[in-house]
Amino acid sequence: MQREVGTLPLAPALRARLVAAGFQTAQELLETGPCGLSKEIGISKEEALEVLQLVRQECQGDATRSAGGSGATRKCTALELLEEEQTQGFIITFCSALDNILGGGVQLTKITEICGAPGVGKTQLCMQLAVDVQIPECFGGVAGEAVFIDTEGSFMVDRVVDIATACVQHCQLIAEAHQEADHLKALESFSLESILSHIYYFRCRDYTELLAQVYLLPDFLAEHSKVRLVVIDGIAFPFRHDFEDLSLRTRLLNGLAQQLIITANDHRAAVVLTNQMTTRIGQNQSTLVPALGESWGHAATVRLIFHWDESQRLATLYKSPSQKESTIPYCITPHGFRDVQPPAVTQEAEGTEMNPRKRPRREEEK
Amino acid sequence: MATKKLRRARLSHDLCERLSRHQITTCQDFLCLSLLELMKVTGQSYYDVQKLLCKVSQACAPKMQTAYEMKLRKSVNPSSAFLSTTLHSLDKVLHGGVPCGSLTEITSPPGCGKTQFCIMMSVLATLPVSMGGLDGAVIYIDTESAFSAERLIEIAGSRFPTYFDSDEKLFCMTRSIHLYRELTCGSVLKRIMSLEEEIISKNVKLIIIDSVASVVRKEFDTKLQGNLAERSNFLARGASVLKYLAEEFSIPV
Repeated sequence: MQREVGTLPLAPALRARLVAAGFQTAQELLETGPCGLSKEIGISKEEALEVLQLVRQECQGDATRSAGGSGATRKCTALELLEEEQTQGFIITFCSALDNILGGGVQLTKITEICGAPGVGKTQLCMQLAVDVQIPECFGGVAGEAVFIDTEGSFMVDRVVDIATACVQHCQLIAEAHQEADHLKALESFSLESILSHIYYFRCRDYTELLAQVYLLPDFLAEHSKVRLVVIDGIAFPFRHDFEDLSLRTRLLNGLAQQLIITANDHRAAVVLTNQMTTRIGQNQSTLVPALGESWGHAATVRLIFHWDESQRLATLYKSPSQKESTIPYCITPHGFRDVQPPAVTQEAEGTEMNPRKRPRREEEK
Repeated sequence: MATKKLRRARLSHDLCERLSRHQITTCQDFLCLSLLELMKVTGQSYYDVQKLLCKVSQACAPKMQTAYEMKLRKSVNPSSAFLSTTLHSLDKVLHGGVPCGSLTEITSPPGCGKTQFCIMMSVLATLPVSMGGLDGAVIYIDTESAFSAERLIEIAGSRFPTYFDSDEKLFCMTRSIHLYRELTCGSVLKRIMSLEEEIISKNVKLIIIDSVASVVRKEFDTKLQGNLAERSNFLARGASVLKYLAEEFSIPV
């Protein structure tokens, strides 16, 4: 009630007039009434009524917030949060080593960033996650849908088909081994068609389309309430070229990060972003660091860096609030993102042929 | 999409007038501003500005498609997904050939045969679909002046002697390969930007750029400060336009 007029979300011109007329708190506005208000400021009666309704709404919102009700800001104890976190699901990646270092898999309500050089497997992991989020709960998944926002055009439907087929086969094997009724029932709805039709794909060509899409994301998620994963493949690509004004870029990126955090929290979804690497030229050497600058580093809660070591792909957990920093090897097979199997000749042969997305890395190239 | 004028985003006329006074005419300008700035510029309340933002976003956001729809669309024309290179082991590794709708990069030390490969791909693209080609024209952007028309005819004649049995067929093929000699980065970029109309008018089915690295290394000396940024800017811009062309027309680049 004692809220200052200048803080109300009114149009700036109106606000200026109210302040000039001498109104200081919201209480005064409400006491004057619409007719008095319209005469004093020189606006129509309808406009005055609108202003008062808005003020009343704001004050009511304030009252419920200060009383500790379920307003826009949530207040809860750490115990409630602990219980929530323990029952929260993870999105598994099918690579058990990676799931282990992440503490179970990709966490919901958090932003995970995957950085890496080109060709190392970021888009592969994203496609794997888009399939894995749909695994039914009885198999250990979160039974959600996925939104895939692509800025680089590297989404290949055929590859997703391969990954999904392998995932369905995996679940079928588990169902056969356990022979439980709800497993079989879940399998009926977990088919290739259903997996593909629950991946919502958006192709953004530049940063404006990306911004627009992120603004519209809350409405989309409200309609499709089962979405548990939002993947933005290539958040760096539209921002790295054609940007003369770096401060604008930082501002837009921060705004984007805020929006994504709000979306992740409100809808209990995991947000996965992929970033490129850039070279930082130091005094005597140059190192590869994630692109988009230092301030972007604060946007993601969990950061994974993928890199090569000779011909082995490695994933390093670079930033995490709850897990230790560690590195694990992984590989990409025709079935998707997997653990490295203990050295076997047949595995090598299977991995290097037939897979159009994996580039075999030869010694001479390094 | 980004440069869509606000007028066409179905905003009211006076609002567009007001915004244009502040030099905000396209969706891009609108979305780049923060909420407070938008309130100041449009003179509307917080909630109204949020609604406006939604409206403008809807005007330039991409359309949604599910992966299933994409798969169905692809399965409708399966043959046009790849351009076979006629080298069996290469085709096997590439899962069918050079993919249509995405960029393929060929790198190697000098003298390995990149330009020869490009010339061969141009011949293959002009062949009719029944012979594994794309039955269309080719745009060849040459920055090293390494393209030789005689070599083109030699390859065509010896690879497909039964098809190119008459001079008429040879001329037809050479007429559909459009060669552009560009020697600077700027002209390459300008050429790439202008390709959209040419692709439609000439029924182009393959774009070859030979080579990107030579012209970039010639012009940008990375030891000089500032050049690195400019070079990556140029490359990124060219790449995004080429990606757009590849996807839009489903042709290999």
